Amino acid sequence: MLLFTAKRVLSGILLLVAVSIGTFFLAHLAISDPTAALLGTTASPAQQAALAEKIGLDRPLLVQFWDWLSHAALLDFGVSWRNFQPVADQLAIKVPVTLSVVTFATLITAVIGVAFGMITGLRPGTWFDRIIKGISVVLFALPGFWVSLVLVMWLAVQLKWFPAVGYVPPTQSVDGWLRSITLPAISLALGGIVAVSEQLRNAVIAQSRQDWVRTLRSRGLSPTRVNLHILRNASPAALTVIALMFVGLLSGAIVVEQIFSLPGLGQLTNQSSQNGDIPMLLGITVISIVFVVLINLLLDLVLGWINPKVRVA
Amino acid sequence: MKRMPLAIAAALAAALALTSCSGGAAPTPSDGSGVDSPDALNIGNFLDVTSWDPSLADIGFDGPYLSAVYDALIALDKDGNPIPSLATAWTVADDDLSIDLDIRTDAVFSDGTPVDADAVVKSLEYLKAGARSGEAYLNVSSFEKVDDDTISITLTQRDDTILYLMGLGRSYVMSPASIDADSLGKEPIGSGPYVLDSATSVAGAEYHFTKVADHWDAKTYPFAELSIFPITDATARHNAMLSGQINVQYGDVANLEQADQQGWNVAQRVSGWAGLVITDHTGAKSEPLGKLEVRQALNYAFDGAAVLAAVGSGAGVATNQVFPDGGTINDPSLNETYAYNIDKAKELLAEAGYPDGFEISMPMSPIFEMWKPSAEQALNELGITVTWDNMQMPDYQLNAPNYPMFISFLAMDGNDVATVSRQLTSVQWFNPEPDYAKNEVIAPLVEKVQSARGDEQTAAIQELNQALVDQAWWSVWYQANNIYYTAAGIQLQPVVGMMFPTLRYITQG
Repeated sequence: MLLFTAKRVLSGILLLVAVSIGTFFLAHLAISDPTAALLGTTASPAQQAALAEKIGLDRPLLVQFWDWLSHAALLDFGVSWRNFQPVADQLAIKVPVTLSVVTFATLITAVIGVAFGMITGLRPGTWFDRIIKGISVVLFALPGFWVSLVLVMWLAVQLKWFPAVGYVPPTQSVDGWLRSITLPAISLALGGIVAVSEQLRNAVIAQSRQDWVRTLRSRGLSPTRVNLHILRNASPAALTVIALMFVGLLSGAIVVEQIFSLPGLGQLTNQSSQNGDIPMLLGITVISIVFVVLINLLLDLVLGWINPKVRVA
Repeated sequence: MKRMPLAIAAALAAALALTSCSGGAAPTPSDGSGVDSPDALNIGNFLDVTSWDPSLADIGFDGPYLSAVYDALIALDKDGNPIPSLATAWTVADDDLSIDLDIRTDAVFSDGTPVDADAVVKSLEYLKAGARSGEAYLNVSSFEKVDDDTISITLTQRDDTILYLMGLGRSYVMSPASIDADSLGKEPIGSGPYVLDSATSVAGAEYHFTKVADHWDAKTYPFAELSIFPITDATARHNAMLSGQINVQYGDVANLEQADQQGWNVAQRVSGWAGLVITDHTGAKSEPLGKLEVRQALNYAFDGAAVLAAVGSGAGVATNQVFPDGGTINDPSLNETYAYNIDKAKELLAEAGYPDGFEISMPMSPIFEMWKPSAEQALNELGITVTWDNMQMPDYQLNAPNYPMFISFLAMDGNDVATVSRQLTSVQWFNPEPDYAKNEVIAPLVEKVQSARGDEQTAAIQELNQALVDQAWWSVWYQANNIYYTAAGIQLQPVVGMMFPTLRYITQG
């Protein structure tokens, strides 16, 4: 298991380095003159030159890259070219917003998706199974942004149970925090619930027909314990979907952040792109990849724990 | 257009076509003064604050943010005329080369230090050095303290726009200690009517402010509580207003009917113009554009009212002038000068020697795609073949001025002299090499404007406006409105030149 984990960590680090290199050079290629975007149209050429010198743009690109990489290796991502505040400080503000929503959405997806998947998988063809399938088709067909707007109009504007926009940090109010992330999380979760329940349903049906299940039942094991065994064996597919969903939501949250006006990574990415704030874009890239690597590592470990044969792969 | 990114300006025009939802909201309780007005002002702005450091801040949508924390030396009235604020009076020298300002002595920074002449001079020097704020002080050679409540600004040449630009948002006074500490970007310290509450504010989402109890100009800022929410998405802003989270919003014309149903107040005024910017009036880059008949043909070929209806949802005025509709200079009768007439346009083009049109390259960016079909149709009818060079928005602003003409949406100024300067005579991103001096009609009229004063100057600008229309200096299609919705009990006065007005223009009543 240790070797298995070490391999996964190493491949994650290689991915991180490769994507960082690509992002660095692509960003410099795409943004020809960041000083113009950063200072606005009123800045004089002398002021643009002074800024270029201040942020090190006057140096060769390779020197800039080595400077960035050597500092990033020590978790120093430099300062934003926009406001000269440390990139890490701003990520520390924005990342929890996106993570809150995405994690809550994943939690909702996992709980409801697994419950629906188990119930319908254990009793396929029943009225409940058919209803869930019908709802799934509808939910899958509905555009996410439209569902978000309906939720806002109903639960925020009419009933006023939740805020229509904004984010409250948990340090200010746990209740306010939960209320501010609930609608965005539900909006993100709806599609995932369908996918997880469908995957799990099919896996549960397949597992239920296995000989070992019949054996367990014939030995008089309680239905609950048998179902737990079925769940454990059927879960890899659902877990993979949940993990992929989490990763996908990190980028998919951009739309939801806009609809609910949440100050998360999506908003920061948009602003940084428009401003040509390359250190901030690199910081966002690194943090996003770290999440992707961590989630994949966690998934591998869980799958390896569930099924030891995976560790050999 | 120097006060907001071009992308934003163009997006605003696009935003006019967005859709809306329904619901209900009520204002917060009355202030008890007999007027059913909220005590809390919750503003839904279009953009996040550019920077809390006034030297780095923009003017467009930063007005409410910065005017909460800082007092300006000079403010503007609703028509763009400079009015007293921290500077109670000013005197322009007879030779126009210096301005003396009297500074009030009862203002105090939120760090407890007094606002005195030394602090004002330090602030102005800081602003002059600023990449963004420095635009107001290009002709300043020095700022000097005369006595404890007087400072003097020495100019290198006459500058009729400096007081206007200072009032527009370039004269916020900052605590000297915070300038020295380089901490304004994070912890702004001014003498304004409110103080930013960093503990309860969430950067990028909501900013909360506490009222300064004994502010010297408290009557201008009646709201006991202030919050500002940057909400880029028009639908999200509207939903926030419907749910009661905000009670003032930068609005969308699509929601006018619903605003009426909700009993909201609606305020709107022109903010910018859409059309073709012509950078080449001599034919240096494109020979045809050097001919008056060709430029006039370009004006006749566009049906401004139709473009306004199709792209701008009708929120604005079809015109061919760059001076704001409703202002002193704008002459509505001139709007008929180039009433849509494609036959006349073709005739003029033939007169100029281009009966079959000509070829031209123009830049294009996704943000301007909404105007592209109108432009293509009009230009095709004239036989003008356009090669569109596609580029992303940051490159558009850098490269578009290199083309002889390009589609744009430019913010306007409420001040007439500033309009002459910014649209015509001074170097701007969209006008890198002003060529008015080479035009024998325009050049003497500009000279007349620059040497006249008072009513004589106003008359000269009116004459210049007429000439600019006659010379078809641009192909202006329409001026677009900015719209603001406020809950019952709150009034907002739009100011041309401010995409979102400063707090002094949001009042109870």
